[in-house]
Amino acid sequence: MTTLPTEHGALVRELQRRATAIRQPVNGAFELTERCNLSCQMCYVRQPAHDVARRQKELSASEWLTLAEDAVDNGMVFLLLTGGEVFLRPDFFDIYTPLTRLGLMLTLFTNGTLVTDRIARRLGEIPPSLTQITLYGGTAATYEAVTGVPGSYARCCAGIEALLKNRVRLELKTTITRSNVGELEAMRHMARNWGLAFSAVWMLMQRRDGKPSDVEDCRLSAHDCVSLEATERLDAGERIESALRDTRAGKAPVFKCQAGKSAFAINSSGEMNPCLNLFQPGVRPLDNGFRAAWEGLQHFVDDAPPLDSLCLACDMRGYCPRCPAWSAMETGTLTEPVPYLCSIASVRKERYEGMPA
Amino acid sequence: MRSIGGDSFLVPLGVRVAAMPGLVVLNGTGRCMWELLAQERSVDELAAAVAEHFDVDYSLAHADAQSFLDEMAQLGLLQP
Repeated sequence: MTTLPTEHGALVRELQRRATAIRQPVNGAFELTERCNLSCQMCYVRQPAHDVARRQKELSASEWLTLAEDAVDNGMVFLLLTGGEVFLRPDFFDIYTPLTRLGLMLTLFTNGTLVTDRIARRLGEIPPSLTQITLYGGTAATYEAVTGVPGSYARCCAGIEALLKNRVRLELKTTITRSNVGELEAMRHMARNWGLAFSAVWMLMQRRDGKPSDVEDCRLSAHDCVSLEATERLDAGERIESALRDTRAGKAPVFKCQAGKSAFAINSSGEMNPCLNLFQPGVRPLDNGFRAAWEGLQHFVDDAPPLDSLCLACDMRGYCPRCPAWSAMETGTLTEPVPYLCSIASVRKERYEGMPA
Repeated sequence: MRSIGGDSFLVPLGVRVAAMPGLVVLNGTGRCMWELLAQERSVDELAAAVAEHFDVDYSLAHADAQSFLDEMAQLGLLQP
């Protein structure tokens, strides 16, 4: 028997790795709503807060709890509650509070703008293991240029302060676009002032519903992505080296991550998919039970078509961040190359192969 | 108590999350004692069960049981 690591992050990663080996669905994500009170140009979900039709399709609190209990019985340990914006649901605590009694490590994603003192107090009484709030800028002008909602910056800051006051464990992150990349340091400074961990993402996907998107105008250039990666991801070189080793060894897995092996996501209308960004196969655990849905998801992942011949022959494959979710969003297939990612792979190759060993 | 494969650990429930935000990993002895603690047990009873189950010396099992109970009490996981 091998010893488990003692540091929390390393322990969780190791447990998840072991779960992947035995196909235990330890990692769940419940997307409680697709609706959001912000209108960020680059967002892949972004449904209007007052979309009644969409709201009516959302699972009820009792349906979420039925799903959670069934998932726990099948081995779920880590659960992310996300949206859209979760606090748009007036019944949020009807879902959240019972979940805290199921033996789950709960994580909450929110934009923070709807976190009132009352919500913060209730979360503080029974806190999630972690809450993550996304910042969209280091100033009100930039933040609100991204979110499209006047006053949202001040409300986000007030939400953060309220959560801190109630001792809710908090981390900040940002989604980098061309509009706010100049305020990355300002946002880091905000996080530091609050004593909070901070991280950034910048790989922007198209809208999941296929509607026209402004994402092309928001995306950083491939060069900017790779430069950011080098400064923001301490393990970037190590990850690329590991991917290159796999490629050299002839490995060409279609799903490289835990999706469908130890992780799943359930969207707001109750469909189960490998991850939040891939809206297939849409199996329904409420109809046939979690176990049958989980098996269906594994079949979907295991039976996925092989890599596109262009990708298989590509000498940049080890540098490429493409996955089935990216292909599905950009090409409608699970395997076709994504030109934006091809350009990132090309810059990575140039950068890492140009570096002295 | 939750498990992933053969690994067992404690996940805090409800208000306990505030005091214990992480996971507590249990080894085989810890898992055995935790399961026994579903009912009220004295340290002597725990030690006797551990000594028998793991075929170890009673005094060693007693020390282990006391140390386990102290740790669990410190984490607020035991009811007096």
